[in-house]
Amino acid sequence: MDSILEMYLYETNTLLEQLESIALSAEQVNTFSQGNVDEIFRIMHTIKGSSAMMQFNALMTVAHRIEDLFFIIRESGMDVLSEQSRSELFELVLQATDYFRNEVEKLNNNEPLSEDIDSFLTKINSCIVKIKSEIEGVPAPSSLSECAASDAPTEEVAQTENLLVAGNEDFPYSLLVFFDEGSGMESLRAFMLVNSVRDFCSDSEFVFSPSDVETNPESSEAIIENGFLLQFRNADNRDASIQVVTSSGSIRTYQTADYSAPTLANTTTPVLAEETTEVKKENVKPTVSSKSTASDSTSGLSHSSKESFISVNLSKLDQLMAVVGEIVITESMVTASPDLNGLKLDNFTKSARQLRKLTDELQDVSMSLRMVPVSGTFQKMNRIVRDMGKKLNKRVKLTLTGEETEVDKTIVDGISDSIMHIVRNSMDHGIETSEADRIAAGKDPVGEIILSARHTGSEVIIEINDDGQGINYDKVLQKALTQRLASPDMEYSTKEIINFLLMPGFSTNNDVTEFSGRGVGMDVVKKSVEGVGGTLSITSEPGVGMTTTLKIPLTMAIMDGMKVSVGSSIFTIPIHNIRQSFKVNSDEIIHDGTQSEMIKCMDNFYPIVRIKDLYGLDCGYEEIQDGILIWVESGEISYCLFVDELIGEQQVVVKPLPTYVNSFNIKNHGITGCTILGDGNISIILDVANLYLSI
Amino acid sequence: MLKGNSKLDETMLFSMQEDPRDATDQSPDGELTQFLIFRSDDLLFGANVEYVVEIITNHVITTLPMVPNYVRGILNLRGQIIPVIDIRLRLGKPSQEESIIIVLNINGIQIGIFVDSVAQMISIPKDHILPAPANNTQKLISGLYSLQDGSTMMVLDCVLLVEP
Repeated sequence: MDSILEMYLYETNTLLEQLESIALSAEQVNTFSQGNVDEIFRIMHTIKGSSAMMQFNALMTVAHRIEDLFFIIRESGMDVLSEQSRSELFELVLQATDYFRNEVEKLNNNEPLSEDIDSFLTKINSCIVKIKSEIEGVPAPSSLSECAASDAPTEEVAQTENLLVAGNEDFPYSLLVFFDEGSGMESLRAFMLVNSVRDFCSDSEFVFSPSDVETNPESSEAIIENGFLLQFRNADNRDASIQVVTSSGSIRTYQTADYSAPTLANTTTPVLAEETTEVKKENVKPTVSSKSTASDSTSGLSHSSKESFISVNLSKLDQLMAVVGEIVITESMVTASPDLNGLKLDNFTKSARQLRKLTDELQDVSMSLRMVPVSGTFQKMNRIVRDMGKKLNKRVKLTLTGEETEVDKTIVDGISDSIMHIVRNSMDHGIETSEADRIAAGKDPVGEIILSARHTGSEVIIEINDDGQGINYDKVLQKALTQRLASPDMEYSTKEIINFLLMPGFSTNNDVTEFSGRGVGMDVVKKSVEGVGGTLSITSEPGVGMTTTLKIPLTMAIMDGMKVSVGSSIFTIPIHNIRQSFKVNSDEIIHDGTQSEMIKCMDNFYPIVRIKDLYGLDCGYEEIQDGILIWVESGEISYCLFVDELIGEQQVVVKPLPTYVNSFNIKNHGITGCTILGDGNISIILDVANLYLSI
Repeated sequence: MLKGNSKLDETMLFSMQEDPRDATDQSPDGELTQFLIFRSDDLLFGANVEYVVEIITNHVITTLPMVPNYVRGILNLRGQIIPVIDIRLRLGKPSQEESIIIVLNINGIQIGIFVDSVAQMISIPKDHILPAPANNTQKLISGLYSLQDGSTMMVLDCVLLVEP
């Protein structure tokens, strides 16, 4: 049952994301295209069906009403709607997304669903009435009460039964399916079949009987007895359905039958007209809704044969990653085993090389499984910019670039809230409050926020850039002074002032707004970015704008490290932190009055940190010319580490330290994790930034 | 799991010693609890076997900087990283080089402890364990029990052990 629920949650969330992006892009052009309407109709229909199956009646009812609404729009087109009801419609669709999201979230947290949907239903109904009255030019309050009163399934039953009673002129091509005897859950199987048929055939193109398979498990009886009858308007769709039927399991047999239409004269003209429009829509569909193919393949319930995506629980991928990590280590333990020393083993070496190649490949593949594009996170910002723009009365355009950049799934989840926070900050503080100010500054009255992502080797760089007023350094400094973060007799550089922004409890806004100033500030953002091993930096030019840059590692699980030795200990330094390594003579070292030493490289002086002294190790080189200096850099910090020897570069699997030792706060001394070396020993991974700060 | 080591008295270890007193005056609610007895600096300690995972010898320990001296470091036990602490140093006694490691799992936290030698396993009724005197300064001991040969076993408070 749990897995069904999980599937439901996953599918509904995917659909809601689609719905939201359709609504937002449609709002830009102020109309729903025919393809959009069809798509929303389909989404609502799927949500309705699956909610009914899970017996979430409130969700089903709401989805059903919205489906009704879009049915009307689909029939009459967007053009007849007035400006006002259009914006109402967009708002309604977004509200519906929020409603479903909230409910799905509740399901996720095992909370009871809210049954109180009346106010929302009234909203939808009044929207339906309004649109109807605009279409027909007359108010139709009676239809509202009728619609609201009639229950969803019965309405449909009546509709289809009428069709059956009236004969089969409309749907002359029938297909009778019998399921395997004793296969069980016939109603569900039938429903899945209907769902698959819906993938290529719109609802008005076919009918099925019993029509209440979605909601009524008892219909199984009837299906066992009489078979499951599908009737189509045209033969092509039926042929396609036969393919679906034959490819799905548990089908005993199927029969086809053609209803010979008496004469064309019998067919009423409205039906004919409808048919032609339907055909037109069918033609339009593949070109307009390019998204529908992707959504079809990810929707779990439909049992279509073209499915090429599966959804996998993230914990399984974590497990896979852990096992692959172990394999990589074990492989080098075997091939570099000291037992092999001095032996000449040609075949072994050959096989070992082959094994190495395969484990590398395995590692690459399993890493790529966890990579997801950042577009999902980026798309969410559209909604935030829109909602905040409306509330704050600012016109802002959001530009996304590099959405296809891929990052490890856990990292994306870890930073999506941070990106949201930064975008909110840009909206709230960055973009000028009045357009007159923007025009006076010679800018486009419409503000712009650019969200970009790009790869650079082992890192992904995400930039949030706005063309607003930038950081007001004086104001920030004043604020820092009143909050006693800064001291009045000090001179601060702009960089230092920016750092105040990243301190806990700092907010420039005097009032708490809905969007910011609640005490959760940039310090939290900085923490969560650093939590995934990234860095955050801010640059700003007053009057021109502000750019926040997040540098995020591609993945946290595996990294390139340089092994160095100090005495008997082996430490690993992340390669991306290393700028250079070099030998020096003691006369090149500059001593200041105190204990500290410096070295000049590339026209700059850098402090030297001796790991041996810092960590109080027993052995290790004392003389600077015996060992080697490693010039490391992380964000703003740059210095030289003195170690005994470089051992070599290696890909290492990062393992967290046991919680017991972490409780001694060694993270603040630059010890972030450890890794198991080829010989089974452990090497400690150093965090060069924290190491320097601990001095 | 158990590698041959002179320090392990295996015959003693595997001969489960039933306390003769249990048979005679076992109270109806006297639940039996098993303890692994080990030696550290001539003192006998008992660890509830519920927490004991395995006993290992000859393992390479990686020392960690910036931790209290009783944390001897971390070791790699079949891919798992486990911290190791020295009971002697934890109790404020001088350390000894050659030792045996008992791996404990205390409510999900794995930890290794350095001990001098492992003596035996015993089953004793819970209510025979006497509380340590109130003015006892050794925080890690939760109770005392007199063994047959007249010596005293001190019950190690494992839960307190993993709280640094």
